[in-house]
Formats: sequence, C-alpha cells, structure tokens
Amino acid sequence: MRRLRRTQAHTLAGAYALDAVTGADRARFERHLARCQDCAGELRELREAAARLAAAVAADPPPALVERAVAAASRTRQWPPDTGRERGWRPVRRARRVGGLRRPAAHGRPRHAVSRRAALGAAAVFLAVAAASGAVAVSAEHHLGADQARVHAIAEVLNAPDAVMLTARITGGGTATVVMSHRDRALVFTAAGLPALPTGSRYQLWLMGPTGDRPAVVLPAPDHGMTGPVIATGLKAGDSVGLTVSRAGPTSGHLAAKPILMLNLV
Amino acid sequence: MGISDARRRHGPGRAAGGPAVDTDLEALICAAARGDQGAFEAVCVRAGPSVFGVVRAVVRDPAQVEEVCQEVLLEVWCAASRFEPGRGSALAWVTTIAHRRAVDRVRSESRSAARQLRAATHHVDYDEVAEAVEIRLDRERVRRCLGSLTSVQRESVTLAYYGGYTLRQVAALLAVPEGTVKTRMRDGLIRLRDCLGGTR
Repeated sequence: MRRLRRTQAHTLAGAYALDAVTGADRARFERHLARCQDCAGELRELREAAARLAAAVAADPPPALVERAVAAASRTRQWPPDTGRERGWRPVRRARRVGGLRRPAAHGRPRHAVSRRAALGAAAVFLAVAAASGAVAVSAEHHLGADQARVHAIAEVLNAPDAVMLTARITGGGTATVVMSHRDRALVFTAAGLPALPTGSRYQLWLMGPTGDRPAVVLPAPDHGMTGPVIATGLKAGDSVGLTVSRAGPTSGHLAAKPILMLNLV
Repeated sequence: MGISDARRRHGPGRAAGGPAVDTDLEALICAAARGDQGAFEAVCVRAGPSVFGVVRAVVRDPAQVEEVCQEVLLEVWCAASRFEPGRGSALAWVTTIAHRRAVDRVRSESRSAARQLRAATHHVDYDEVAEAVEIRLDRERVRRCLGSLTSVQRESVTLAYYGGYTLRQVAALLAVPEGTVKTRMRDGLIRLRDCLGGTR
C-alpha cells in the first residue's frame, strides 16, 4: 500500500471508515473522495455501520460529563458554517486550543507494522475488545492482587530490552503471537482466530525442549477467536513453545496430543 | 431537514438508539448550531452514552476517557453548524468525531507497553451500567451480526474500531497482508451494514 492507485483507492473506504488509514494514504484517499461521488456514498453507509458498533458499546457516562461539556460550551465560540465549495463535514484533526482544553497533536508515530507495541496490541486488544463488546464479564475484583502481579509480569516481558516478537499460524486456524524475553526467561502468548472448542476441551500451552516437555499454562477459552495474554515462565535455552488441544481436568506432565503449533524460540 | 440516505433505504426503522432518538438528535444538533445551549445539553444526554462507550473502548484509561469525551462533546458544539442532516445520521456524525478523537489520543500518546496494558486491564463492570432495553437489543443485534462475519473480517473490524489500530498494525497482529485486511475491513463493514439493515 505504499502507493495508492486510483483503482485501489475505493477499497480503502472500509479502513477509512474505521479510522485505520493514516498518513499519506489518508491524504490520498481524502483527495480521491473529493472527486468520487460513489466513494463518498459508500463511505457514508460504512460510517453508519461503524456508528452501530459505537452504539453497541454505549454506556452511561459519569454524570459530571454533561455538566462540564455544557459549561465548556458556554465559554466556547462555535465554528462558522462551512460555506465553501467543500461540502460534507470532516472532523478537524489539527491540534488547536478549544475552550481551554488542549487537544493532543494529531496522531503521532505508529508507522511500523511489527513492533513490540504491535505485539502488545495483541495482548491488550483482546481485553479491550472483549470488554468493549461486553462479551466477557471481567469481574476480577477479588483477585485483583494476583491479576496485578500477572499484568506486571506481562508488562515486564513486553518491555524487556531483549524482547522479540514471533507470529505463527496455528494448524486448524488462527494466529499465535509470542513475545519472549530470554532475560526474563518468560514469554507472553496471545492468539487470534482460534476455533472454539467443544466443552470439555481446552487449549494448553507447552514449553518443549532438550530437558523435556513441560505444561506451561491453560489458555482462557477464546472469545471471538481471541485469547490471552498469558505468561509462561521458566523458559530454558533451546525451548520451543507448543499448543495442544487437551481435555479439561488435571494436566498430565507429558504431551498426549499432537501440537497444533510448534514455534522454535531460538 | 433532510432524511439520510440510509434511513430512507431502511424505512422508518430504528437507527442505533431508536429512530426517535436519531431524528431528535438531528433537530437538536441543528438547534445547537444556532447557539442553543439547552439543545446542546440534550445532545450530550442523548449521544453521551455512545460517545462514552466508543471512547472508553479505544482509550481505556478512565482519566483520559473523560478528557477525550469532553473534547468530543466540545467539538460537537463547535462544529454543529457543519452537520448536514442529508449526509448521514446524526449519531454517525457524532460517533465518527468520537472515534477519531479516541484514536488520535491513543496514537499520539507516547506510552510504554506497561501503561497501555495497565489501561487495558482497567476493568469496567458493564452490568452496573444502566442501559435501556433498546440499547441492549441493539447490542445483541450487533453482536449477532458481528458473528456472521468471517473471522478475519470480524477481527479486522473490531481491532480497528474497538482497538484503535491502524491498517498496518491490524495486518501485523493478524499476520495477514495489508491488502487482505483492507478488503476484509470493507467487506466486513458492508456485511455488517446489510445484516443490521436486515434485522431491523
């Protein structure tokens, strides 16, 4: 997508409606949009669909929000109507001061596809998406201590100076993302696109190496195909990470099922 | 005041949040454009839950969520005169502003992985949220329609929309080429639109 040809521009409408197009690609698409009636029409429709995604996560805001917004509005001059040739609104993106609120400078850097940040994304996004879609009741109040320790350990690995990200396809469907740190002798694992399992089965992560195979951790049941992040510790030199489908119940110490993923961690 | 293309096509069915809400929202935004602060307050009350929902989904950090929501509502006030009822629903206009603001925030923030993860794990109890039956039904409908997408379509759409990821980042996360993600996002949204249209 380095260069956006005219014929390709049209297909960007979906990504654009989701605000996933950045930088030069966005500028090009917007130029194209100004000339292409069909694109503008399609974009409007796709935005209506996206609006439904927003409505689907609607929740009562803190009551003070409205009060504060109204108070800010009362001291803020409105923008004049758009009377130019350019019709159709487009949210304004430049940094500017409005009513005493400093806006952040418009979108910063993330340009690079594969970065530790992106890897983290896999981890963080599951939580975000699961919680946002309300699909998972996150009621961890009583294990907050343990959870925080786990989150802290995960963050340590993701931030480790020697952290390396690996991705691999999983047999039977899905993609695994692993971020590992030899310094921490640990890895963080997430997966997307995992098929749901019948009840009584679960995904089990293994560390496998010259010193033998060790069950590492059981993955939480995937939601919309996504699971994790989980952390596996006790990584040893020469280890691979493996994923199996195993029966629920106590994990046996040795690998019974054929792994659906084997990823060499060298 | 015009009627949006989408609404004309789908007849007088419900827009997200109900048809009455959306028609009212249009009228209220138009009144706010003329400086009517009472109307603006009503806009905030009606559109607030969707704004808050989408900003929270993307931004996660409660302190920043509120700040971004404030910015969104203030932009709605400032830009009200630029809302054109014939060019899409009022709710889509507001939520587009909200989503852009939210992704601008997460992308401009230089955040450490740890901070992002902390924010992501801030838990919100959705059951505590008082919600109208209407919203609940709508949510179910959207969830069902999301379920009708292929997994790559669904993940592309939700990672971008709720996760705030760029095309390139989504491609990296899913380990699929950018071109594939690009078309899946479009196909996914089209399918979502058709599915939602058909279930009204």
